[in-house]
Amino acid sequence: MALVKLVNVTKRFGKIVALDGINLSIKDGEYLCILGPTGAGKTTLLRIIAGLLEPDEGEIYIEGKRVNGVPPEERNAVYMFQNFALFPHMNVWQNVSFGPVIKEWSSEKIRNVTSEILEMVRLGERRDAYPNELSGGMQQRVALARGIAAGARILLLDEPFGALDARLRVDLRTQLRSLVKDQGLTAIHVTHDQEEALMVADRIAILREGRIEQIGSPQEVYTDPQSIFVMSFVGGANFFDGVISHIDESGSTIELRGGLHIQVLDTTKKIGERVVVAIRREDVSLGKSRRRGFNNLIGEVADAMFVGGSMEYIVKLENGIPLSSRILLEGGSRIFRKGDIVIVSFHPKECRVFQYPERGLLKEIEAI
Amino acid sequence: MTARPKKIDVSSKIVVSCTLIAFMIFVILPTFYLISYVFLRWDEVWYEVFANPIIGDENWKQIIKVLSFSFRLSLSTVAFDLIFGIPLAYVLARKKFPGRSLLEDLVTLPLVIPTSGFGFATLITWTTVAGLGGLLGLSSGLISLNTLAPFINVPFILFVVHVALTFPYVVRTVETKIQSIDMTYEIASRTLGASSLTTFRNILFPLSLPGIFSGAVLAFARSLGETGATLIVSGVSTTASIAIVRWASEFKLSTAAFMGSLLVLIAWILILPAEIYVSRSRRASGISLHLPINLTKKMIKLERFISRRLFFIKDAVPLIIVVVTVVIPIAVVLNSVILYWSADPYTGKVEGGVFHQLFGPSNYFGSLLRATLTSIIVASVSTYIATCIAIPLSFIIERRRYGRILRTMLKVPMIIPTSSLGLSVLLLWGSSGLNVVNSGIWMIILTHIVFSVPVIVESIIAAYEGSGIQMYEDSARTLGANAYNAIEAVSLPLIKGGIITGFILSFTRSLGETGATFIVMGRDVTIPVLVVNMVEALAIPAALFTSTYLIVLSLIMLAIIRILTRR
Repeated sequence: MALVKLVNVTKRFGKIVALDGINLSIKDGEYLCILGPTGAGKTTLLRIIAGLLEPDEGEIYIEGKRVNGVPPEERNAVYMFQNFALFPHMNVWQNVSFGPVIKEWSSEKIRNVTSEILEMVRLGERRDAYPNELSGGMQQRVALARGIAAGARILLLDEPFGALDARLRVDLRTQLRSLVKDQGLTAIHVTHDQEEALMVADRIAILREGRIEQIGSPQEVYTDPQSIFVMSFVGGANFFDGVISHIDESGSTIELRGGLHIQVLDTTKKIGERVVVAIRREDVSLGKSRRRGFNNLIGEVADAMFVGGSMEYIVKLENGIPLSSRILLEGGSRIFRKGDIVIVSFHPKECRVFQYPERGLLKEIEAI
Repeated sequence: MTARPKKIDVSSKIVVSCTLIAFMIFVILPTFYLISYVFLRWDEVWYEVFANPIIGDENWKQIIKVLSFSFRLSLSTVAFDLIFGIPLAYVLARKKFPGRSLLEDLVTLPLVIPTSGFGFATLITWTTVAGLGGLLGLSSGLISLNTLAPFINVPFILFVVHVALTFPYVVRTVETKIQSIDMTYEIASRTLGASSLTTFRNILFPLSLPGIFSGAVLAFARSLGETGATLIVSGVSTTASIAIVRWASEFKLSTAAFMGSLLVLIAWILILPAEIYVSRSRRASGISLHLPINLTKKMIKLERFISRRLFFIKDAVPLIIVVVTVVIPIAVVLNSVILYWSADPYTGKVEGGVFHQLFGPSNYFGSLLRATLTSIIVASVSTYIATCIAIPLSFIIERRRYGRILRTMLKVPMIIPTSSLGLSVLLLWGSSGLNVVNSGIWMIILTHIVFSVPVIVESIIAAYEGSGIQMYEDSARTLGANAYNAIEAVSLPLIKGGIITGFILSFTRSLGETGATFIVMGRDVTIPVLVVNMVEALAIPAALFTSTYLIVLSLIMLAIIRILTRR
């Protein structure tokens, strides 16, 4: 049974539609990431689940019960803010025991539960410290312990690593996931960082302009993006604007600006239809000779960047369009320099074909 | 089907409506009653002000004369404050130097010192041989009570007192505004080649304009409404607020009410545009002055020269002003108390000594003790009631849509002249109005509540807005606390500092208030009023002692605020 279920949830702020008919169900013990650019409605969605906002339309169910209008304190869903919102005037012990004290448990039970949870997050020795004396990682553990002590079954994480530096962020992400999993909690984690989402989530929901564009496991979302936006937002790719010029049983041919042709396997489009063809950067290889069965285009290296373990090239094709390629450096990999003339190769099966978007290609990829 | 707990909804409605009702009855009604009084009794007002059978419209002419004098005084005071206050605010906001917090305290001092005591200190300093005159070796005071200041044609000493009392409003408001402006703009401007003065004119000045504006409005209103010190140093000249006190005590109630409501209206007219302007500029702040390019070039050159060579002026002049207007008067009063302790140092008469006047036949010490008791009861009770209204009111202001309107309404009792306020309270609650209380201690308390509520609310809101309370409260809610638990366990402790500061500020304000108290006090005298009475009875040594006593009391208050806010 779904632990949290949203049916047709809509929220407007004046004329702005923040959420537009969201349907979503989250299983018990699942780690769901809601991924989307700034202004997509991620935080609004989270606040509605927490009960800090009421939706204009639609229903929210937690453990099968409709919770519209139920105040936040009765939902067992703990909201974790970007900087954790540890109460600055309380020490670690007081913060963690906040939930039990509010719920008026017996003092013995409060003491036992709090110290047990503090040990679990390895903060037993810092119980008298105040939040400003703790490192970012410790603060996160206190916030988590506080949520667990309050009896939370659902954690709502709002950009939990937003305020931290890049290195710490990577460490904490895995730590957070394993703590959540160990406790058997359900987490809904909002982020705009696709790498973070891919790393921690069981499933990712991609939110854009108040609607869910795609939902699925990290692999599904990455390898089978359903829209230009998803492909561009998760992983990124080369996008070319073209027209279908020929179709046969082995696939279609797309004519790009400047008379270049690309072979693809997709046969669902019609001749003359305007399309966008997309190729991931890592699927593009560079070489001195043509490869059989591949699309081979000629270009000049416009820029070469070393990005640690791999090279990133920008190649200017004959028709003037830039294309980027990422090549893993292995023993014997050839490194090209700016100005080298190279043959760009990619396999037809790596090319994804999308219908040309109504609002133009740029609008789909620049929102990021 | 909705499971929203009705209980919380209902009780929150009760709290909100009780607070709003208390706010209306105790704060807003007394503030605006005066205006309705004038309308309700227009015949009477018309008869007394414009068409008196004996003196004709003599009262109206008086009102015009008094108002124009008051405006001249207030406008010149504000102009002076701005010219010297803005540089000082800049220095306090941006520079770190030893003694910075001491300077800040000195600037703030006139806000907490009871004005009648302070006025008396200034009077002694400038016009008697015990002050600057004696210090410079003259056998009389440096100036006389009626020496006019050049250009503005108001008595010099009145101008000095008003500058000292209004200076902190400009300095502190602008200082806070400048502190809130990101310093990177200035650094960017400097690294792009602008001198510090050019940077100030082009970057800081336009950005801090809302602060300058509201500081100026506060200072103007303060000067217009000042009564305590003005009563002591005014000599023969009459300002608007003194006129109200005088007419009220002569039972020319209609004339006083008409004048008072004019002042309330002026306060409104000042506040509204300022509020609208400041709230607009919160989005896109500032204006830019477009000058012809060759003029700009000359200006930049001049500014570069001043920035390099003459910048010490900016540091030195405001400092001198603070020392002359604040430090020296206080020092002179303390010194004089010692000099005059046993006998008049110039005539040698024991009757002229502090000791004799306090404990001798006139027994001013007894009056002082009684006044202290009255003052402390008034300040404690009114501040306590005001705090009870102010705490829920601050939450309503921050959380409800109509909060902005409430906050604007609250600005009015803060800036209307307190003598108008006193008159309004007298007419509303007193025997000629609802007849609820008679003049005396209870009416003083009712009056002090009116201006205490806004003081405390402002202080709480300042603490509230910097603390991210909403987030902590939301967090507490999702952890299982209901709305009231969250406020009790999280929000109130977080704004505790603001509540305490507001409490002390309001207590101090109540302790030092003169204008309104004069009108509503009946026979119950407070300490600041006692100082005025002593000066009028020419019991100078006793007044010296009482002023010192007041100054020391308020210094203790200031010290307490310092200790509490430093933490």
